[in-house]
Amino acid sequence: MNSPIKQPENSAPREDAGVKDPAVPIWLIVLCFVLLYMGAIYFDQHGGWFDAQVYSPYVSAAQVKGFQVGGGPNPFEEGRAIYGRTCTTCHGPAGIGQAGNFPSLAGSNWVNEEQPGRMIRLVLQGFSGPGLKVNGQAFNTASAMVPWNSLSDDDIAAVITFVRGNKEWNNHAAPVTAAQVQAIRAKVAKAHPLAFNPTELEAVSPAD
Amino acid sequence: MKFGPLVFLAAFLALSASWCGFVLTPQVQLGRLTQETNSVVKAELYPAGRPGLARQGLEVYRANGCAYCHSQQVEQKGTLVDVMLTDAGKTSVQVAKVLNDAQLGSFSGPSVGAGLPKAVLKGADIDSATILAAALKKAGAGTELRLVSTGPDIQRGWGMRRTVAEDFIYDATVMPGSMRVGPDLANVGERRPDLNWQLVHLYNPAAVNDKSPMPSYRFLFERRKLGQAASPDALKPIGSFVPPEGYEILPKPEAKALAAYLSSLSSDTPLYEAPLTPPAATTNAPAK
Repeated sequence: MNSPIKQPENSAPREDAGVKDPAVPIWLIVLCFVLLYMGAIYFDQHGGWFDAQVYSPYVSAAQVKGFQVGGGPNPFEEGRAIYGRTCTTCHGPAGIGQAGNFPSLAGSNWVNEEQPGRMIRLVLQGFSGPGLKVNGQAFNTASAMVPWNSLSDDDIAAVITFVRGNKEWNNHAAPVTAAQVQAIRAKVAKAHPLAFNPTELEAVSPAD
Repeated sequence: MKFGPLVFLAAFLALSASWCGFVLTPQVQLGRLTQETNSVVKAELYPAGRPGLARQGLEVYRANGCAYCHSQQVEQKGTLVDVMLTDAGKTSVQVAKVLNDAQLGSFSGPSVGAGLPKAVLKGADIDSATILAAALKKAGAGTELRLVSTGPDIQRGWGMRRTVAEDFIYDATVMPGSMRVGPDLANVGERRPDLNWQLVHLYNPAAVNDKSPMPSYRFLFERRKLGQAASPDALKPIGSFVPPEGYEILPKPEAKALAAYLSSLSSDTPLYEAPLTPPAATTNAPAK
């Protein structure tokens, strides 16, 4: 396509030939680098380095870690969560069990014993057989309690602490430590690997 | 086309760069999120997942365009720390000295122990709070740090912490929304636990909130002649809502699902990435 306007390659010199070629001014390049540098600094200080656990208003993983001041472990609340997962099916969310089938934990003499030894045994090894007296009333149930020795010492201590110390359920017994659970777990593992029945459980000293 | 390969290359680079930025990077960053634990109550898992009816409700929420007017993301501008004094200890004179030295008021030995637990330092940053707490602990006092989220959304009572990706991991379609014609719904299940309120509000928003510009969703309900006894599902009078004489208003399954979804919306669980001190009233733990 040859248009008459098109100039041949070796035409007369352009009018601005004498002017110096308008290159990008050096200050603009410097400004670009300065802005880039400031941007990088800002990202380093506020970006959290793409960490999935750093959201604004936090600026770094170390800062998020510093804010973990959740007051240390709270066995009672841990116990509430474990109770909700493990125990509610039979004993109910309010701990009152089911008349004739599952004993109530609210105000129960087994729960409120001064030493938690027998309750820990119950939870660890489970329980079967009719005739357990709860608050003087015999429970002639065919339902058994499954052993929960698959739970860790910490979890069992937490859930027993929750049940024993739950004022809403009228229980006022002292909390239980993982060490107590560990000690009894070691004892029963040798002496009593099967589920307890009422006579065996009543034979255990309440202070043990 | 003279520059065919060059144009192709430029287009390819532009598209792949944006794909890397908008698809690949978030996937690498957040794609493997799984259930995590409550950062205060470690045995509690979060999120628990929505019940089946609430999952169906998410589809109703989506179909009716609720997200055009309602967001589900709480913004947080900052986190402040309160240092609580829980126990003045046996050496309350030394505890008072620490507080006086830090210029937090003038205490004498006995006055430190009055009205515990009390905040001795409010709205501090994490560093000065931990320094003060360490000094108090050294003087024999019992302390506790409380995190307080700040920001307009928190002030409005829309939540106790910011919304994070973890809140959405079990939702197949996430509905974070961007418009706020109506209030944010990230925690509406906590604010409005009454299902009847939710249903009446969907049926006629003005009945429970005079100034609400929200349209009515009457097509999710059925008006039926009153039989011998009122149906247990029928809407109960609340606010200015009264069922018309001789009729009852029944929610269709969609309305029930939507109400179940709304009451399942709750994101106040303290998480590692969004730490928070839950209000003390929710626990009945024995006092230490």
